[in-house]
Amino acid sequence: MDCLYVGKDFQRPDAILKAQGKSVFLDDIRLPGMLYAEILRPEYAHAKIISIDTSAAEACPGVVAVVTGASCSYIYGDNIADQIPMAVDKVRHIGEAVAAVIAESTHQAREAIKHIVVQYEPLPVQVDALDSMRPGAVLIHEKNGEYWHLPAIHPVPGTNIAGHYRLKKGDFEQALAEADFVIEEEFNYPLISCAAIETHGAIVWFQNDGTIECWSNSQCPFIIRDELAHAYQVPSAAVRVRVPEIGGSFGYKSDITIEHTVAWIASHAKGRPVKWVASRKADLESTLLGRGIRTRMKIAARKDGKFLGIQVRSYHSTGAYADTGVNVSHAAGHNATGPYVFDHCDLQSFTVYTNTPPVGACRGYGHPEGQFAVERLIDMLARKMGMDPFDLREMNYIGPGSVNALGEKMYVANGSVRNCAEKVRKALSASPKPAEDERFFYGRGFAANMKSPKGAPFQTKGCILKRNKDGSVTVTIGGLEVGQGLRTVVQQVAGEALQVPPHKVRVNFEVDTLNSPYEWQTIGSMFTTMGGRAIVRAANRVIAILKKNASYALRCDEDFIGYDGQWLFVLSDPDCRIAVNDVALGYMFPDGVTMGELAQATSDARLPRYSGFDENGQGGAGVSYTFGAQGCDLRIEKSTGKVTIDHFVSCFDVGKVINPRQIRGQVTGGVLMGIGASLYEKLEIGPDGKITNPHFGKYHLPTASEAPRLSTIEFVETPDVVGPYGARGVGEHPVLGAAPSILNAVYDAIGIEFTDIPVTPTRILAALKLKGNGK
Amino acid sequence: MKEKVSFRLNGRAISVELDREMKLLELLREELNLTGTKCGCDNGVCGACTVILNGKAVKSCVTSSKKLEGADVLTIEGLSVSAVHPIQQALVDSGSVQCGFCTPGIVMELHALFTANPGAEDAEIMKVLDRHLCRCTGYEAILEGAKVARSLVSALLKR
Repeated sequence: MDCLYVGKDFQRPDAILKAQGKSVFLDDIRLPGMLYAEILRPEYAHAKIISIDTSAAEACPGVVAVVTGASCSYIYGDNIADQIPMAVDKVRHIGEAVAAVIAESTHQAREAIKHIVVQYEPLPVQVDALDSMRPGAVLIHEKNGEYWHLPAIHPVPGTNIAGHYRLKKGDFEQALAEADFVIEEEFNYPLISCAAIETHGAIVWFQNDGTIECWSNSQCPFIIRDELAHAYQVPSAAVRVRVPEIGGSFGYKSDITIEHTVAWIASHAKGRPVKWVASRKADLESTLLGRGIRTRMKIAARKDGKFLGIQVRSYHSTGAYADTGVNVSHAAGHNATGPYVFDHCDLQSFTVYTNTPPVGACRGYGHPEGQFAVERLIDMLARKMGMDPFDLREMNYIGPGSVNALGEKMYVANGSVRNCAEKVRKALSASPKPAEDERFFYGRGFAANMKSPKGAPFQTKGCILKRNKDGSVTVTIGGLEVGQGLRTVVQQVAGEALQVPPHKVRVNFEVDTLNSPYEWQTIGSMFTTMGGRAIVRAANRVIAILKKNASYALRCDEDFIGYDGQWLFVLSDPDCRIAVNDVALGYMFPDGVTMGELAQATSDARLPRYSGFDENGQGGAGVSYTFGAQGCDLRIEKSTGKVTIDHFVSCFDVGKVINPRQIRGQVTGGVLMGIGASLYEKLEIGPDGKITNPHFGKYHLPTASEAPRLSTIEFVETPDVVGPYGARGVGEHPVLGAAPSILNAVYDAIGIEFTDIPVTPTRILAALKLKGNGK
Repeated sequence: MKEKVSFRLNGRAISVELDREMKLLELLREELNLTGTKCGCDNGVCGACTVILNGKAVKSCVTSSKKLEGADVLTIEGLSVSAVHPIQQALVDSGSVQCGFCTPGIVMELHALFTANPGAEDAEIMKVLDRHLCRCTGYEAILEGAKVARSLVSALLKR
């Protein structure tokens, strides 16, 4: 499709203010009479609270109130209502809120918090799903099973299993019976942090007129609004949640996270705004973590290479609360097949309570974990079968006419994993893999991938579009810019739909539940698809209004009127025309009488026929997929075990590239996040549940010199039918192939099968030493 | 016991009274309301809080305010008085700005580098950027932007 503005580079509308330090982030907000909160975390990851003595803290300078959870009677959660704002009678993880101080300054609050005395009775600690699932494990939630939950979630009362997801397609036993080759292995994707450079924070202000004002750097202001309204028994309309600039998210600022805790604290200082901003330590210990999934996977194949069946048991160390993690486990279950056809699927995932901070969304949402397993296991299977791993994959790619694990039929419009894989193969094979030399081993690895969205029944995205009388356009959305470049997408899509240059489109920066249209949450790489469709719908409504208005001037039925962005004209006589500007507020006849409608419209869009799961764990929970493939060339230094990524190749079928520079930035960023998890990042949690590396000094995020030396990034453009101009989502996808392709390349280099990450130099050296000893 | 500290901030003489030990970042953000300097890690790793102290890029979250007597401090606000600075423009044009939280610190780092050494080698650029964490971009665009910034700054100096 030829487009005027889609497919070209435009500068982000927020870039200059951000580069000048003038953008307002959460911690930059200053309000009259603002108070500051500090939160006390426990000494134990699992313990009964015997007593809390707040008297000394109350007497400290500047203290307005000291808050505990003793009188807190409400629980919350969108999926499983198992969360509490502050510990009531026990603590379940090391980052739990035990008490808080509200003071006139942060410094005073931090000083006073040291004077709260808590007595605990420690309980046994379980930090891994497998430990928590064993018979006799201590229950982390005695009420597991009694909490309200969505019907698709299946807790197992009397255990620590908060959710047991089962997908059954065909009969895996039959696959085993027919198979010539069966391979099984366990893989582990440990707990990591999204680690946006801006930490979580919120301000809550219980006003004396009964309304609640909240500011949060969250991707789900409307969920926060409805949650606070429900908890504090006021109408949703009485709660206003505003979101300033967000300094990165990668998932962990979606779902309600810290806002209930800050609200509970602020409810003890009614009339004044209370701010809490996480330190890096608090961000790592008390917000949401990512991943934490062990995947035991078995694949059955015929000797000609055809995959027959797949069995998955995925064990998710979901943390002390499962509300935000249970759907991650589901996604890890039904997406563990990767982009391959298996007629027989037996996929189960277990969401397991552990004494670790809760897991939530983290770029990829269950997909990187399961596909780390499948892409590693296919390489292992290929070796067992004596086949080329690329050829083995190619025989089994999902494509038009095939049916995925969920039971969804695939069409051409879902895109082509095969074409992506071919591009990656070409880019990698353009240069031969270097032979081992004195200093380095060299390896090459590949992984294909697939990402479904994450939705919910009311997952729609709204848009308010106004075509102003001077030719400028105002678009108000509920979608949150977290760095992904959504505002540029809005400008380009609205510009395309209305045929006006994108720089004439102004998009709201602050999202505000009072003034912005509803959006469920900005997650799952779905803004371009659904938000973009909403913009096109609103634009079409505006054009229809403009044509109606023009019909008075041109004395012609609307369906004979054309529109080109500047003019409305009679199709059969284009010289008979009126400027769009002249009918943007209606049409004024020469005598001053005005008729018509304002050129503004609201709209929304959701994924068509998105559904929950049936009794077999199947259903329309995918709808819109993006397929891709990735691969890399790396070198391993013999003396240090250090891995350097020489070349990383990515290709995704994104339907339509909206902004080439931005999409490249999304891919380079996502790939490096995947490299971080593969080589460096892991939250180290001791058997006592304490996190030993809760800061960037020891939790290492990749730096500039650790990025790939060369990145090849290509796209296939098979138009989608839901997204605007054929576009589909790509935000999370670049993470998916990093871990499996890097570990496949590590095997290629040194013949060692790593099944968990990160693959650190220490581990590589130790494995090389073992291998050298002939073990 | 209050302690008076006098220094130059963004070209102007300033005196502050400190009643306790306070890092430069807290002084800038909480006492002086200069919120362009960001806090990302609070232990001197991420570089979001980078400012220029006596011509050198420093991490303000680990810099004591008591050391400021007679010093010269430049923050992102000092580079953003009106027009867009060439380093900022280069980063914007290269697509280096995604969430933008790390950007002011990187602007200050590059400003310190190119002021001291307008023709800094690529390796020198990489070395100073390694003091900064960006979770969004994967650094490719930032490296490209930094190189463009170097040529813009050099061109300005030659005029």
